[in-house]
Order: sequence, then structure tokens, then C-alpha cells
Amino acid sequence: MRRRRGHRSQEEVELNLAAMLDMAFQLLAFFIATFRPAPLEGQITLRLPPPEARTTQGTQPAGENVNSAEIPKGLKTLVVNVFSDGSGEIKSLSFGEENATQVETLAALDLNLTKIFGDPTYPYEQVILQVSPSIRYERLMEVVDVLTRLKVARVDKETGRTVWSPLSKLSFVEAAGG
Amino acid sequence: MAGLESEGKPNLTPILDMVFQLITFFMVVANFKAASIEKDLQLPVVGSARPVDTRGVESLMVLNIDKDGNLRAMGRRQPVREFIEQEANAVRLAGHLEFGQELPTLVVVRADRETRFRDFNRVIRTCQEFGFRQFALKTEPPGKKRASGGS
Repeated sequence: MRRRRGHRSQEEVELNLAAMLDMAFQLLAFFIATFRPAPLEGQITLRLPPPEARTTQGTQPAGENVNSAEIPKGLKTLVVNVFSDGSGEIKSLSFGEENATQVETLAALDLNLTKIFGDPTYPYEQVILQVSPSIRYERLMEVVDVLTRLKVARVDKETGRTVWSPLSKLSFVEAAGG
Repeated sequence: MAGLESEGKPNLTPILDMVFQLITFFMVVANFKAASIEKDLQLPVVGSARPVDTRGVESLMVLNIDKDGNLRAMGRRQPVREFIEQEANAVRLAGHLEFGQELPTLVVVRADRETRFRDFNRVIRTCQEFGFRQFALKTEPPGKKRASGGS
């Protein structure tokens, strides 16, 4: 007997999932093996240009007059000194250069610098952190923390209003000795 | 008797579906940049530092400095000058920048709390020499407990 035209034998098409599952497990194993959650960390973002000349002599900024034989004017700089006795801990904290003002604690440093930078008539152009080479990084970061929290006051020339901005120019210099 | 042949076969479709769900999850959370982080460093604790997600930053260079002052990157100890010069040249080439121009890369510095300033400053000065200006100094947020004990 001939089969009727149109009557088709029902062929079951089976998809072999075992091979696909095997590949999927391979991929899963790869991603599990390379899974490494990033630790939650804080950060202090800084812009650190190299320290520039800080001579207090001179009459005009460098590069203004190439024919001038005068000493170029350096940037107005506040130097913060962090010295150690070799143990890695902070032995003395001071700021200023010729008549450096000693402070006992970081809180005192914070208070003094807040007063200095809060006054628009003291427009320091850069802060140099002069640090003993043996200071521990943890202690250094405590001082950097104080500096980065400072707000510098500037008078806007157009509006005449006082504008507050974070300290933008900070440089590190290694002090001689321990 | 005709149905006996199909009775023993497990249905793989739900298993495959779950596996694809897991693959999708791990693909989304995959963070290959975390491999550049040295987990045995003890970062300093700074009160005002806040967690910042640097995943949006396109160009990052992670430098780990251990307590002995060694620079570690990509899981290996690296010579300071050669490594930073190599990275700077790669950034310059990729961005068509001239020598002397500031590089846009954010340098992420992860230094151990016992690292001495001289070693940290050496890395910073070398980075500055090759044009890096933007730095992120990593710290631990206050109150975070460390799982491993240490001195």
C-alpha cells in the first residue's frame, strides 16, 4: 500500500543539548575562576606637578621677556615641613621657610593653614611638602589629608566675590637627612 | 510499551537555562583590572578619603609599592624607571602625544602604610618626569576590618 501524499512520517528532531551544556560549563568555570571582586578603597586625588622655582627675588615671571637678564620671579610658595628622627614617625611639623612656625599636632597645622588660606590677601601659588625620607607613608597621608581638605580663598576679579576652591598645586620634596 | 524509551532521559533545557544565567552574571561582574591590585598591601587609613569608582576612567595605571619600596605591577616586581617609561611611551603612542605633553592617564598609587617616603617619592618623581600629573593615592576607608592578621 502506498502512503498517501501529504502524510509525512513524524520525525522527531532532537537537539543534542549535552554538547552545548558542556561548552556552557566550560565558560562558567572560566568566569568563576577569574572572578575577583575589587576591594572597596578610598582615594585622595591629587594633581602633582613637579615643584617649580620658588625664589622670592625677581621682577617678572619666567618666559615673559626673553631679552631680560633679570632673575625670573618664582612662585609664591608655602613650605610645610614634616621631619622625622629616623623612626618613621613625625618628630616635628612646621610651615613657612625662614621663620618656620612649629606646630605640635596635625589639628594645629590644620587650624593654622585654614587661617592662612582663608585669607585672600595671602595668595600662595603652590604648596611644597618637604618630608624626611624615612617618614612612613601612613603619616605622610595624614598630612596630605589635612592639605587636601583645605579651601583656598580667591577674590574673583570680575565679580569681586570670594571664591573657595580646593588646594590645586601640591608638590613633594625630599628633605635631607633622616 | 512505546513510551518506555523516552522515560529515562533528563530534560537538559532548565539546566542549560540556569547555566546561561550564571554565565551572564559572571560576565557582567567580571573585573579584569582587579588582577592588578596586590591584596597583601596594608593601605593607610585616612578619614576623609571616600570610595571612588574608577571604572569610568578610561586610562589607568596601577602601581603597588610594598613596604620595602619595591614597585609591583601586574603581579610582578618591576624596575621603576623602565616600567614607567614603557607605560608612558605606550600612552603617548596611543594618544599621539608629543614628548613633554601632559599624559591623561590617572596613576593609581597603592602603597603600604609602612612604605618610606623616599620610595614613594621616587615613584612619583619618575612618573612626573615622564609626563604623568594626575594621581590617585589609595587608602582604606575608616572602619574597614582586615581579615588577615598582621603586625
